[in-house]
Amino acid sequence: MLRIEPDAWREMVAHAQAAYPNECCGAMLGAIGDSQKSVQIALPLENAYTGARASRYELRPEDLLRADKEARSRNLDLVGIYHSHPDCDAYFSETDLKNSCPWYSFVVLSIRNGAFDHANSWLPDAEQTKAEREELTY
Amino acid sequence: MAKVLIPTPLRQYAGKQDSVELSGSTVGEVLTALTTQHPDLRQQLYNNEGKLRSFVNVYLNDEDIRYLQKDATPVKDGDTVSIVPSIAGGSVAAPPEPATAELTKDEILRYSRHLIMPEVGTEGQLKLKAAKVLLVGTGGLGAPLGLYLAAAGVGRIGLVDFDVVDFTNLQRQVIHGTSDVGRKKLDSAADRMHEINPFVRIDKHEVALSSENALGILRDYDIVVDGTDNFPTRYLVNDACVLLGKPNVYGSIFRFEGQATVFAYEGGPCYRCLYPEPPPPGLVPSCAEGGVLGILPGTIGLIQATETVKLILGIGQPLVGRLLLYDALAMRFRELKLRKNPECPVCGDHPTVTKLIDYQQFCGIPQPQPEAIVEGDIDPTEVKAKIDRGDNFVLIDVREPHEYQICSIPSARLIPLGQLPQRLDELDRDIEIVAHCKSGMRSAKAVGILKEAGFRARNMKGGILAWSDKVDPSVPKY
Repeated sequence: MLRIEPDAWREMVAHAQAAYPNECCGAMLGAIGDSQKSVQIALPLENAYTGARASRYELRPEDLLRADKEARSRNLDLVGIYHSHPDCDAYFSETDLKNSCPWYSFVVLSIRNGAFDHANSWLPDAEQTKAEREELTY
Repeated sequence: MAKVLIPTPLRQYAGKQDSVELSGSTVGEVLTALTTQHPDLRQQLYNNEGKLRSFVNVYLNDEDIRYLQKDATPVKDGDTVSIVPSIAGGSVAAPPEPATAELTKDEILRYSRHLIMPEVGTEGQLKLKAAKVLLVGTGGLGAPLGLYLAAAGVGRIGLVDFDVVDFTNLQRQVIHGTSDVGRKKLDSAADRMHEINPFVRIDKHEVALSSENALGILRDYDIVVDGTDNFPTRYLVNDACVLLGKPNVYGSIFRFEGQATVFAYEGGPCYRCLYPEPPPPGLVPSCAEGGVLGILPGTIGLIQATETVKLILGIGQPLVGRLLLYDALAMRFRELKLRKNPECPVCGDHPTVTKLIDYQQFCGIPQPQPEAIVEGDIDPTEVKAKIDRGDNFVLIDVREPHEYQICSIPSARLIPLGQLPQRLDELDRDIEIVAHCKSGMRSAKAVGILKEAGFRARNMKGGILAWSDKVDPSVPKY
């Protein structure tokens, strides 16, 4: 189960709405417990995809490395990645799956007409063939 | 000694440490030392062939080793090695990957009933996987098409629709469920298809297909399946298919009867060879006007799906040059021979249609005008007020008896439009008449007949549907 604390959640929704109609992406820093993961800090990162960013995102590994360092310096863990789906549901698309990594929670925020609609968290497998939905609270 | 930073989720495989000090003169040696010391990490970082997994990047300090000397990149004392996944994604499917000439283990299991038939086999299943099929419409015909083509493993399926699921769709559009009402048909259909087969790539085109966008959308696909319900789009799909040289798998339905064939395939006829001219607007009722047996699009859509799969596999006799006619009440199939028309304006010997035209105009459909106030029209709320005041007037319902049975306005008298000319003497010329039907079209004709016969008549705007919206929501809509 993934719990996103209010401040981090506000930051994520604001980032996703500001990026609309493009996709946004960022890192989630928090703590990984035995039964629950929690997110205290949302770290907006740049969508580095060079084509149409309305339907794609790309994280620079350097940025992710920076996010990991940031987490370590605050005694937190890099818990997951978030990104937005403008005007479409918060499913884990084939593109998401094929460019995923099984180590993290992937939160997808559906933004419709510029406003937050719903969100899901996904746990992809190592073979990038499927992603399971993870319980999400915020 | 170099320090390897372990990402949080992998620490469980590295004795819960967040970093590990290891010796080695190259990055490769350091990583080997890491997985020797913590064998469980190996499976996380490497695939079965012993290669680093596709999403794993290795950084020496701040540099990706792919841009240094890869595994052979020298490591000095105090260097930091980081493991960083590459992450991307997006709401649309990724561009096609190079056709993989094999099926995965999961795919072999999933498609085993295909694979054991020599007519399909691995070769055929790979053809299905590489195929790109566009479904125009995700309604009655698109529903069974989407479900079965996804299940069959057609690798990429495009959907064109801009509509929203509505309760009246559920009687036949089985790809959508009750909980999908109000959702975009594209989202609802794609979710269901992915649920059936997550290996299928689905591309959503949320547009009304038009002369401006049709070629751009159809160009990417091998086969186009026409599941539309109107003449302008049917001619548009046909012409675009002929111009692009794509087969057009056609189906149409009405009440208890359906048709199917394959147009524009390898020298075969096209839709215009069969129907050079569209019918006058309004002559052929749509499903919304004429109704349709809910199961009928299942039968016709699956004939289209079967032809699509046959074309992909290159087996059997395609339904080319033959128009299959289906009569559900008689439960009979018939076949008409279709010939390519050498004079056909689009696929004939001397085509005159060489680019897409204005199909609304071609089909004689007037451009939508701002809603005009027709003199004498009366709003349902005003009719209600007249009834409540006890005004001296007669409300007549010009629908058919089976429609009257579905719902009616209490004080209305049923005189179906077809009987009206013979039953005029039942009406009093001195009393004002208000006519209504389902949506206001037929009652407008009734008002014309009445006025001509010297009655004072007015049309209730929007029919009983508007009555339900504005006056009495307990009146069901149909």
